[in-house]
Amino acid sequence: MSSDMVDAIRGKAEPAELPTGNPGLVINLNHIASIALAHGVPGWKVERDALKNGIIPKRYLRSMDSITSKDQLKLLDSTIAQVGLGGLGGTLLEILLRTGIGRIRTADGDSFEESNLNRQALSTVHSLGMNKATTAIDRAAEINPSIEYEAITQFLDATSLPAFVQGADLVIDALGGLETRLTLQRSAAEANIPMVTGALAGWTGYVGVVQPGQTGPADIMGSDNAAEELLGCPAPSVSLFASLMACEAIKILTGHPSSLESSMLIVDLRSHTFEKVQL
Amino acid sequence: MGIEIKLFATLAKYLPENGDDYPIEEGETIRSIVEKLDIPVEDISLMFVNSCRSNLETELKDKDRVGIFPPVGGG
Repeated sequence: MSSDMVDAIRGKAEPAELPTGNPGLVINLNHIASIALAHGVPGWKVERDALKNGIIPKRYLRSMDSITSKDQLKLLDSTIAQVGLGGLGGTLLEILLRTGIGRIRTADGDSFEESNLNRQALSTVHSLGMNKATTAIDRAAEINPSIEYEAITQFLDATSLPAFVQGADLVIDALGGLETRLTLQRSAAEANIPMVTGALAGWTGYVGVVQPGQTGPADIMGSDNAAEELLGCPAPSVSLFASLMACEAIKILTGHPSSLESSMLIVDLRSHTFEKVQL
Repeated sequence: MGIEIKLFATLAKYLPENGDDYPIEEGETIRSIVEKLDIPVEDISLMFVNSCRSNLETELKDKDRVGIFPPVGGG
């Protein structure tokens, strides 16, 4: 931690009433951006050092105390490698950027088409025909410029996945379809990285956490995509499963145990079923 | 004796009207239920009884909760 930077952070901190009702110190995003620029570091490092000194970046005030300062420090100091920026991936990216994961690496070789507009958070009438990962770069900068965001504009496979997941603290499987999910699970396991996975068809879906070497949903789901082709992917289901996945990601990165390890949380929104199945 | 049956996603169409309390006989298995309901075995990826992963030969008893799930991978 550079003492110059800490002095700059302290100099820009302002007193405020915290959500707990107690007085505290906060810092706004313009000051964070200018300190980051002056010190040649990404904004998340300024935010991390602010938190270490008891100064809360304003943008995280309303996450607290569900996400404590200590948790937020860990999140800012984390790297996520997420494959897929479609339905689950678009909503997940939005949540992860707002939550303040320091480094987010994503990949998607697909381009937006009209049939994505029903659910994919990054798709708009203006982004049709554009690559999903490229579109996400602008969105990431708009939502949280403190995050180091990297977008790979390719579909990944068994050859490219190991390099993609390397160095990540967590892998997120936000793929559409079953074809590559098992390959991704294996790549995460080989790199000794936990993975959060999820999928849906219609009003039904699941979320799971796979620690390296554990059985995961990809081991038992096969490669037949008929269900989602028939039942589609409606927006409420996509948002819900992306949220459930994000919750598990936050737990894992902050060191809180996930009860979904080696399990699947099976959800059906028509019958209001929430059932955890041990794999 | 009766069991609760939950059929998910594309399998929901096979759910009988009395799926909440479906009568079974002694020695019945998931396979026998799947056959009675005409569910294609190849459309099943995951079976569970009382939240534990099971298989076609798992024997069923009174009040069991049986879930049958097809391959699902959309996102």
